[in-house]
Amino acid sequence: MKRIENRYVLAVIYTILTLYALFSVLPFFWTTLQSFKTPRQANSRVPLFIFEPTADNYTDLWLKAIPDDPVFVTLVLLAIFGLLTVIALNAKRFPVAPGYVYLAVLAIGFFVLLQIPTFVRIERFYNYFINTIIVTAGTICVSISIGCLAGYGLARYTGLAGVIILVVALGFRSLPGLSYILPYWWFGQHSGLYDTHILLIITLVAINQPFTIWMLRSFFMNIPKEIEESAMVDGANRLTAFISVIIPIMWPGIVSTALFTMLLAYSDFLLVRILTQSNWTLTVAISKYAGGEDPGHITLAAAAAVSAAVPIIIVVFIFQGQLVKGLTSGAVKG
Amino acid sequence: MTRRIFFMFMSPSLFVMLMLMVFPLLTSVWLSMHFITFRNINEPVFVGLTNYVEVFADLKFWSAFTFTMTFIVIAVPMQIFTGFLVAVLLDQVSRRIRGVYIAAFLMPFIVVPVVGTLMVKQLFESGGLVAWAYREIVGSRFFLTEQSVKTLILLHSLWAGTPFSLIVFFAGLQTVPHELVEASMIDGATRLRQVRHIMIPHLRSLFVFIFLISIMDAYRVFDSVFVLTEQNPVYKAEVMMLYTFRTAMSVTRLGKANAMSVITVVMILVVLLPFLYRTYKEQIEER
Repeated sequence: MKRIENRYVLAVIYTILTLYALFSVLPFFWTTLQSFKTPRQANSRVPLFIFEPTADNYTDLWLKAIPDDPVFVTLVLLAIFGLLTVIALNAKRFPVAPGYVYLAVLAIGFFVLLQIPTFVRIERFYNYFINTIIVTAGTICVSISIGCLAGYGLARYTGLAGVIILVVALGFRSLPGLSYILPYWWFGQHSGLYDTHILLIITLVAINQPFTIWMLRSFFMNIPKEIEESAMVDGANRLTAFISVIIPIMWPGIVSTALFTMLLAYSDFLLVRILTQSNWTLTVAISKYAGGEDPGHITLAAAAAVSAAVPIIIVVFIFQGQLVKGLTSGAVKG
Repeated sequence: MTRRIFFMFMSPSLFVMLMLMVFPLLTSVWLSMHFITFRNINEPVFVGLTNYVEVFADLKFWSAFTFTMTFIVIAVPMQIFTGFLVAVLLDQVSRRIRGVYIAAFLMPFIVVPVVGTLMVKQLFESGGLVAWAYREIVGSRFFLTEQSVKTLILLHSLWAGTPFSLIVFFAGLQTVPHELVEASMIDGATRLRQVRHIMIPHLRSLFVFIFLISIMDAYRVFDSVFVLTEQNPVYKAEVMMLYTFRTAMSVTRLGKANAMSVITVVMILVVLLPFLYRTYKEQIEER
């Protein structure tokens, strides 16, 4: 399409876009800045842009006491995670399937994270971080495995039942989470599952299931039927054909859906807030910093907000292609 | 695929949805007809429709309802208008620069709602950037009052809600047929008329889709209000979800809270049914 060439009009367009972009990133910029200030600097009458940064807020947030040799501990941890990243990046060069390499890397990384409290005195904020990883990873695993089966079935079955399930699921998805969460709370109290990871995982899986099956179905629809049919002619039954032929070519779709499941599980506030008492995730934990009159809380809240935002931004940065693809495929948010 | 195999593939997912979506909703209806607090959590007292009567007579419920409706009426058109405008402008920009803008625009969408709200709030804290600008321009300190909290909630919804409609509109604009636009240029149509007569009609179904999703999202807004009001009812800025939450958790009237939740579900379904019916028709034709 021919674009606008009038210079003045273009200038106006760029100005509006830039202003809107600034509006979008201003809170991030300011919060990050505040998180590196002392409470005194953060409360100064005229906003400070140039100051001597301090990491105190972050150490206060994460650590009970700074370890005796902080440089050594940091270096060792950086070396471990750097090594794991290098292994993950070169997964294809190992003699085993790359999937196992990724799995091993994730397992070792998680094990190291679990071991950190044994040699560093950690604040509770770190426990919330570990909780978040457990709940998010659990939700992704369960949700994607049962969602793949259902999404594949829905993509291939042409009967009326499939359409009805899809439409009803869409309806359920549109209801506010609170309508489900109050009964969950009631179940949780009666079954003794209240405040456990398992309750969080199964309820998060259920609440996101309609979205997951819609999205996975739209990806499965793009895979031609002939592929698994040829496998089935060769004697494989449908389940084997599905696992050995369809899943391997579905990886981009699965990663895309997993990414959205992660965003949903990570950002869920209401469900975790109601169904837990102390096993919070980061999202709930940082809301505790929302109020308060103590002047120190501003910088601490800023550090908490940045700490909770950084993991998600890193993951999204790695998988940005899948995110935009998922967003534009239109199935999102059902 | 035969029906039997379909249900075999479907069964785990279907089981989860039946147990944890259908069954809880039925429980919710059952709970809404009982008097339950923490004290008698194991033996709820059946009270019939008393909870519903109480909800409809509750002034706080109506104030929360009014604010939710006001919020929807202001926030949704604002998000959609801004999203569409920015998407159309973005479409005119060269491909190389687009990526940078899109990355910036998506930031509020990616970040967790609670975190995003906390970050917006940082601007308005004492010592915050906007609070400072406000003092310089208006001359008085920025205080949280009923009015300013409500404005803040709307402003935050513009910040957090626009990226979604923006990206979907932008993707939609890429599907507008080139020939149509070029033909209209030869006929001497101005840019504005192209937007009015080609793009908007082409994206009509997308508008319906985004309107619906935005209304649903605005209806169930919770996280941002929870953080911005600091759970303080003084600001009278409670939305339906927050009031239901407080009734269940702080006042511990579980029965009444469930009655409100049932009312919410019914109201949403009324709006949703025509759309669900349309989706049903579409899917039937597609298969």
